[in-house]
Amino acid sequence: MLATLVAQPSGGVVAGAALAPGLAVGGLDYVPQLLNYFVNGLVFSAIIVLGGIGLSLVYSIADFANFAHGDTMTVGAYAGLVTLGAVGTAGPQLLALPLGFYAALLAGIAAAAVVAVATHYFIYRPLDTDSIGLLITSIGVAFVYRAVVQLQFGTDFTEYDVAVLRPVPWIEAATGITITEHELAIVLVAAVLVAALHVVLQYTTLGRTMRATADNEDLAKVSGIRTERVITSMWVIGAGLAGAGGVFLGLYNQLGPRMGFDLLLVIFAAVILGGIGSVYGAMLGGVVIGMVNRLTPVLSDVGLPIEPAYANAIAFVIMVFVLLVRPTGIAGEGVS
Amino acid sequence: MADDSHEPEDDIEPEGADDGSSAEAGGNGPGGSRSAFEGGVDTSQRRVERLTNYGIAAAAVALLAGVLVGLVSPTYLLFLVSLAGMYALLSLGLNVQWGYAGLINFSVAAFFGLGAYVPALLSASGSPLPWDVSPIAGLFVAVAATVVLALAIGIPTLSLREDYLAIASLGLAEVLRLVVRNQQSWTNGTNGIGGIPLFFEGVPVLGTFASDVGTVDLGIYTLGYQFWNGLLNFAIVAGFVVVSYVVLRRVHRSPWGRVLRTIRSDEDLAEALGKNTYAFRMQAFVLGSVVAMLAGVYYSYSNYFITPGIFDPIFTFYAWIAVILGGSGSNRGALFGGVVIVAIVEGSRGLGVGASWRLFAVGALIIAVMRFRPQGVLPPRKELIWPGAHRGGETDE
Repeated sequence: MLATLVAQPSGGVVAGAALAPGLAVGGLDYVPQLLNYFVNGLVFSAIIVLGGIGLSLVYSIADFANFAHGDTMTVGAYAGLVTLGAVGTAGPQLLALPLGFYAALLAGIAAAAVVAVATHYFIYRPLDTDSIGLLITSIGVAFVYRAVVQLQFGTDFTEYDVAVLRPVPWIEAATGITITEHELAIVLVAAVLVAALHVVLQYTTLGRTMRATADNEDLAKVSGIRTERVITSMWVIGAGLAGAGGVFLGLYNQLGPRMGFDLLLVIFAAVILGGIGSVYGAMLGGVVIGMVNRLTPVLSDVGLPIEPAYANAIAFVIMVFVLLVRPTGIAGEGVS
Repeated sequence: MADDSHEPEDDIEPEGADDGSSAEAGGNGPGGSRSAFEGGVDTSQRRVERLTNYGIAAAAVALLAGVLVGLVSPTYLLFLVSLAGMYALLSLGLNVQWGYAGLINFSVAAFFGLGAYVPALLSASGSPLPWDVSPIAGLFVAVAATVVLALAIGIPTLSLREDYLAIASLGLAEVLRLVVRNQQSWTNGTNGIGGIPLFFEGVPVLGTFASDVGTVDLGIYTLGYQFWNGLLNFAIVAGFVVVSYVVLRRVHRSPWGRVLRTIRSDEDLAEALGKNTYAFRMQAFVLGSVVAMLAGVYYSYSNYFITPGIFDPIFTFYAWIAVILGGSGSNRGALFGGVVIVAIVEGSRGLGVGASWRLFAVGALIIAVMRFRPQGVLPPRKELIWPGAHRGGETDE
């Protein structure tokens, strides 16, 4: 099913001309449109990847499906909103974003990490329960996060106080792709964060101890690894990236108390597709699900009766399908 | 009242309905890890049950007193009790799946929504579909549709590992929600369906009961159409609850229920005994879904207007809180949980605090139960003691 969905665009160019001649879909004219879907998918993927890494880390190290992860992104987004309001948008700009926005990004990362670590110490750790009990508790945690955000900021949508941009002119002139500098910033910063995570995981002691703990916590413990410290670091990294994802989600769309919870299942789809517990799988799954999500309009462009409103539904169906045929996901590790 | 009539009068007398259940030691339930093996638990459990009974009695007395002094209208009281019945149906249904069989079903809202939409689509004047079926026939169609949907969700997901089942069932429930929202031509989309008739429309006597009785003047209250109609709605939901409760109590004590309990405690053992565990879990899933669906039927006929909002996952989580708070595997716990959910939802409305505080209360309640009382307030009794080995040889069947 995945293969068909991904292959759809290429087939769509041909089929589009035959099926829906009235839709101005046909031949080469459709290519820029398709490229735009891809680029849009890349931006959305960046956000899904940032969210997915943390979900996957929690799954592999703390060993439960964390339903509060989406709301951790919300917490990061709103912490960014407060910070941006405090530091203002004056001063020099980088990629059309004021330096204040980057401060907001850091604040979002920090706030999400602090909240997640506090939740771990005060709520998850004292529990005498198994992974299912933790899963259920995390739903309660998700509601509390969201309720606090609602109490503080109301239920209405809001936006970061940065100018809405037109697409970068020279890219649009050269390739027909419409991408704003903000979207470029999302992709670039996400790439930097992911690369940094890769370096940490592969080349530092912390990364090695994290991988060891994920693999076998008891063995790690008797080998002298302070697993408690590793788990704390895991929450910092996972929630921090989620906080960054939340800030970017707010920049990409807008901010609302449900923004993270609504994205949670899509992130789950990405993590499951990549292979639960595998960080690299989560990255790959995030890119695929993000792309599929934003390529959904292609289906109606070629005349299939599937509206873009079903983008998430397609991700969920892929998720169930992967669970059925290959529960270990693409990367295929982490599940015993 | 349907909600507290099942509370045991005497907390020492063993109530058969919920004994021998599923919160097994070291198993997969939230009530699993500490339970009746610990010394002194029996006494503290009795104290909790007594407190719960007092609490419910106090709430009932307060509401009745409120009615007598004119603070709570009888119509509103009927509405509250009916609503408690509705949430109790959701939690009774989920209890079959999670409490009996250990299935982490996060698709309760899909069946709640289905129970509301199928009869509405078939019988409402605002339905985009051409049929005009009598509401009672709509109920039976809804049962059939529920079986189909439960099989459609269950066949792919019930063989999954428990936490994957949670995610997958939530995902499929969301797919259904998106279909109902977006298939404008079938469901009227986000505009919802209006003009839903009364449940008893077309039935002799009951169909016109509410308008026939007219108004009765009781001094501080005038009982008019609203009240009598509310009484009928209460009768519907009370009927659903009583039938479900009795049926579930019976099946839980049957050989079928025993197999489910075995599956929940030790699936390998059940397989070794030659039981087709997949089939048993599927049956529990379908049965629980039908019970949860009844809540939707009540909702539909008592609201006259429905929107895809009733597919919101919050209803799934309400049912979960009710079951966990009441005690996984315990039917009377599920009833109690339904009452508490109404107390939170309507209580917050009555106090004038907003939806955000309600959400906060719900979240904090989940955390508090998991932290301080993972077995729930009214857990199934003597779940770890083999029937027959317990005091004077009490048997399970």
